[in-house]
Amino acid sequence: MRAPDDTTIKAGQTLLSVENVSLSFGGVKAIRGVSFDIKKGEIRAIIGPNGAGKTSMLNVINGFYHPQEGQITFKGVKRKKMRPNDAANGGIARTFQNVALFRSMTTLDNIMAGRTLKMHSNFFWQLWRYGPAEREEIEHRHKVEEIIDFLEIEHIRRVPVGRLPYGLQKRVELGRALAMEPELLLLDEPMAGMNLEEKEDMCRYIIDVNNHFGTTIALIEHDMGVVMDLANRVIVLDYGQKIADGTPDEVKANKAVIDAYLGVAH
Amino acid sequence: MLYREAGQFKTNYRDDMAVFPILQDRIGILIILIIAFAVVPFVGNNFLLHAIMIPFLVFALATIGLNILTGYTGLLSLGTGGFMGVGAYACYKLTTTFPDVNVLVWVICSGFFSAAIGVVFGLPSLRIKGFYLAVATLASQFFLQWCFIRIPWLVNYNLSNAIEVPRRSLFGIPVTGPEATPQTRYFVVLTIVVLMTWIASNLVRGRIGRMWMAVRDMDIAAELMGVRLLNTKLLAFAVSSFYCGVAGALLVFLYYGSAEATAFSINQSFAVLSMVIVGGLGSLLGSFLGAALIFTLPILLPHFMAGLGLPIQSATAEHISFMIVGALIIFFLIVEPHGLARLWQIAKQKLRVWPYPY
Repeated sequence: MRAPDDTTIKAGQTLLSVENVSLSFGGVKAIRGVSFDIKKGEIRAIIGPNGAGKTSMLNVINGFYHPQEGQITFKGVKRKKMRPNDAANGGIARTFQNVALFRSMTTLDNIMAGRTLKMHSNFFWQLWRYGPAEREEIEHRHKVEEIIDFLEIEHIRRVPVGRLPYGLQKRVELGRALAMEPELLLLDEPMAGMNLEEKEDMCRYIIDVNNHFGTTIALIEHDMGVVMDLANRVIVLDYGQKIADGTPDEVKANKAVIDAYLGVAH
Repeated sequence: MLYREAGQFKTNYRDDMAVFPILQDRIGILIILIIAFAVVPFVGNNFLLHAIMIPFLVFALATIGLNILTGYTGLLSLGTGGFMGVGAYACYKLTTTFPDVNVLVWVICSGFFSAAIGVVFGLPSLRIKGFYLAVATLASQFFLQWCFIRIPWLVNYNLSNAIEVPRRSLFGIPVTGPEATPQTRYFVVLTIVVLMTWIASNLVRGRIGRMWMAVRDMDIAAELMGVRLLNTKLLAFAVSSFYCGVAGALLVFLYYGSAEATAFSINQSFAVLSMVIVGGLGSLLGSFLGAALIFTLPILLPHFMAGLGLPIQSATAEHISFMIVGALIIFFLIVEPHGLARLWQIAKQKLRVWPYPY
């Protein structure tokens, strides 16, 4: 789908590395010296109890928050400070914990909006919706229809997303993120508030995205069954610190993780 | 039954993304255009053309302008009157400085001046939102009106301190000034408004329109999609002010004939804003419906009352229409925040399934 360039990273190599990142809001330390890496093509889960700093970590990765310490390397490029739209340009897309769709726009427009960065026709052509502007619109509509087809949301194409049930909204949001053809997809609790059937569907989509498009996925999720089945590697955060990092089985057996989740008798 | 799209299959995305994908809509808009271009100017009398149709179209254009900013991009503005004034004064200065260039060229060009001023006053929109932005644009309204009154250079040091529209013609036919017939002026206004409405519909349906709406609905997510907030908001201010500027120039040159700074007071801003709200936020059709209702109501009310056998004085009619418009705005805000345009949507759906309930 994407024109290959020199910075292309092969599967298995490190796509993103976070080194010693600390983030605080005033006196509250949200993240304390966390380091980890995400390899190209894997599904990486970030778990931890409420308030552990998982969402803050995602916000740091895509540029909403600027960490006070530490550095982030994405596709081999270290970055100092960047805006969320730079992250989008670099190929990082995300979904939000509480759905952040464009509520009064239709499903189709929402997903088309995800392709904003891929569209280049200038203002002059846009005025007349002619020539490049029209060609581009049709060409991207094809891509968007592929995504709609993939996520099986054909029937809600023209429905304003504000009117959709929650499970479908989550799916449209995934579609919007996919429309950006990201290299790294950040999913913040994609299965929160869903019933079993919807969760199973969502899991299937996530695995399919990973397999078919080769998209690297970083995922925050509370449902341990889902995490252990989906993820290749898991990071566990607690009170802003990394307490474990490894395969699902390693993490499951880790004493610190069990203590963090179940509490420990003092 | 009446509005069935059954059997109208689209075989490519180009047809599917057309402005009016349904045949009935295409026929309807064609009939409206034919009536507007070929029937109204020949059947209608001077009163209909001069006092109703021309100002209605001009206000519809201003309403589209404000709708782009407030309805599509979600930035509340109270500076519409000021931006319209910039268009009018710019057009006056241009046409008196370069009288040989066609006045219609200057009407369009005056939009660029207004757009530039709009961008300057739009700069705070990155940091402030909602009511605070409305107050910032209110400042622009008062500042611009102050300029119109205090800078005599803008009116070429007229003693009356007002714009006096000079006589200008197109292909030998006078279009502005006292000699221009209502028919000619109506044609000019109609052509410009139809053209600019078409352009607005192109913009709002394309990438730029989606960026505007994305900023309106969820600016954080929009930023994440790669939308640059400041550029997008400033573009909305520029396009919106362009439309308002052209509307202001048309208002003075083809309707008022002469205008003082008070023509662009805060009242004008409120009038246009109420047209946007009553018509429907984020709808081009709503801009026309809102302008039609709010503008024609005070004019038609005395005639209507006289028809009922209750002749009222024009001052009373004005007061009554103020009350009715006020009540309408409150009614729409409570019952149907999407305005007349939404009512039309509902009516269309009803027509679609008629005679069955669903």
